[in-house]
Amino acid sequence: MAITLPPGLNQQTLPKDAAQNGLTRSRAGGRILRSATAAALAVWFVLPLLPLGLWIFADRWSYPAPLPQDWGLQNVDSALSRGAAIAFAGSLGLGFVVSAVATPLGVLAARSLAFHPSRWSAPVSGLLFAPLALPAFVAVFGLNVLLVRLQVPSYAGVVLVLTVYALPYTTYVMRLAYAAHDIGFEEEACTLGATRGQVFLRVQLPLIAPALARAAFLAFLVGWSDYLVTLLIGGGSLVTVPLLVASAASGTGNDGIVAVLSVMALAPPLGLLLLLGLTGRRRRGSRS
Amino acid sequence: MPAAEVLTARPRPLTAAGHGRKARVLGALLAVPAVLLVAFVVVGGSAMVAAQSLGLMPLVGRPELSTAAYTAHGGDLLVGAGLSLAIAGASTVLACLIGFTAALIMMQGRWCGKLVAAMSSLSIPVPHIVGAATAGLLLADSGLLARVFGAAERWPDIVGGQWWLAVIFEYAWKESAFVGLVVAGTLATRSVDYEETAALLGAGRLRRLRHVLLPLSLPALIISGTIAFIYSFGSYEVAWLLGRPYPEPLPVMALRLYNSVTLTSRPEAAAVAVVTAVVSLSAALAALACLRKIPLWR
Repeated sequence: MAITLPPGLNQQTLPKDAAQNGLTRSRAGGRILRSATAAALAVWFVLPLLPLGLWIFADRWSYPAPLPQDWGLQNVDSALSRGAAIAFAGSLGLGFVVSAVATPLGVLAARSLAFHPSRWSAPVSGLLFAPLALPAFVAVFGLNVLLVRLQVPSYAGVVLVLTVYALPYTTYVMRLAYAAHDIGFEEEACTLGATRGQVFLRVQLPLIAPALARAAFLAFLVGWSDYLVTLLIGGGSLVTVPLLVASAASGTGNDGIVAVLSVMALAPPLGLLLLLGLTGRRRRGSRS
Repeated sequence: MPAAEVLTARPRPLTAAGHGRKARVLGALLAVPAVLLVAFVVVGGSAMVAAQSLGLMPLVGRPELSTAAYTAHGGDLLVGAGLSLAIAGASTVLACLIGFTAALIMMQGRWCGKLVAAMSSLSIPVPHIVGAATAGLLLADSGLLARVFGAAERWPDIVGGQWWLAVIFEYAWKESAFVGLVVAGTLATRSVDYEETAALLGAGRLRRLRHVLLPLSLPALIISGTIAFIYSFGSYEVAWLLGRPYPEPLPVMALRLYNSVTLTSRPEAAAVAVVTAVVSLSAALAALACLRKIPLWR
């Protein structure tokens, strides 16, 4: 499923206080304008998530009231009785499996493109990015026939398609990492008598670990947030959180349950993002 | 940094691992597993969907080449394509404008930039179906905004209304964060020196924006805008949840036909899918053609 993610998530090194440089420092009017724009943008990015925080604890919130009348955890109970726990496990599993398949394949492809350029490099990278230009439902319409005829189990089919839609991200992130990767370290380890396994474990892996974590996170997100591929190829045998969100949101009067399920769908990736940010910062800090 | 540039340019000198024919072949083989999977899904999927749409794989009966599936809903197919283009176009323009502004603020550093960067990365891991559900909770006629403003009957039809505003809002919201972070990532690597030079030469704020920041971010803007456009053009769940029943955008129409019980509906669904894919591919090719014309890209 083609989700849109920034390829270099967490990766950009924003200049520290570029504006404090005298040449480009803004005047008072400009500063006020900039603060106002920044505040407006912050509201724009956060506002859509605001209803979740209220609805999740609202036992009763009838229409014209601007705030819930009764607070409580009834919505959580209702969501759990709809099978939210099983769906959560299903989503988590799918995210991890897609990540476990798409990350190593992306590493291999990126390594091949980075260190073994050939006349095939351009068509190969073109093909690996093709999923970004093909809506997922088109591929699924065509593949469903094939997968049924080849008797591929539906879970494997879902993982296959989602892996392909995660590969542009993992390949891209790892290709960027290898572009800045000095293969001289590996060669030096070889000259010093390290075996292939040792070079991989002791030299290559530590050097690419931050990029590896980013790539794995992006691939996890593809599996975690997919709706359509799971629905069409899974055919209902695989229940994930997005599927429950969709079924609750398409009915009426489920606002509280929708909020609980949405928060369930948000918590793990946000937690992982935070973890990535924190470990990334510590790494940078320890190096300097 | 632009994707294709990273993947194809800057070949590194061959190292010990890359000498000799055998090593070269082995190196090229590393990409084979990924290539096989992508080829099976993308090429195989497209070929099968095209064959279905042309009547070559009927559920029952003899295969026969025909374009009947394309003309069965002639008018609706065109209306759907127009509607999808309008929704994707409007949300992409909004996402690029907001995203570029956000990137400029992020570039400035300090608390403004940090706040905007943190808030926009918050919305990145939100699945689109969750974004659609929560946009509904915010914008519907019984939603949070209608309650806060006490609008009651006077609240406009944002969800399910004539202008597809909630759908456009959801795409613009998610994609503006994406565009903003991608553009900020590119600008961060190379804009500061150029900006200072321009400032030293006496360029004012607007001139620096027009002649330095905009050209520098154009490639990233085109790439992220195209990805956002293709995504919102071919995505189902947001338009299904927040839109109205008729007219239908292409993905919604395709899914309805796909799940319909009549025998002719599968080829018709495939025809809608082929039209969607052709438009998406054309958008990608147009973007690549644009990028080729930009000196920075080369």
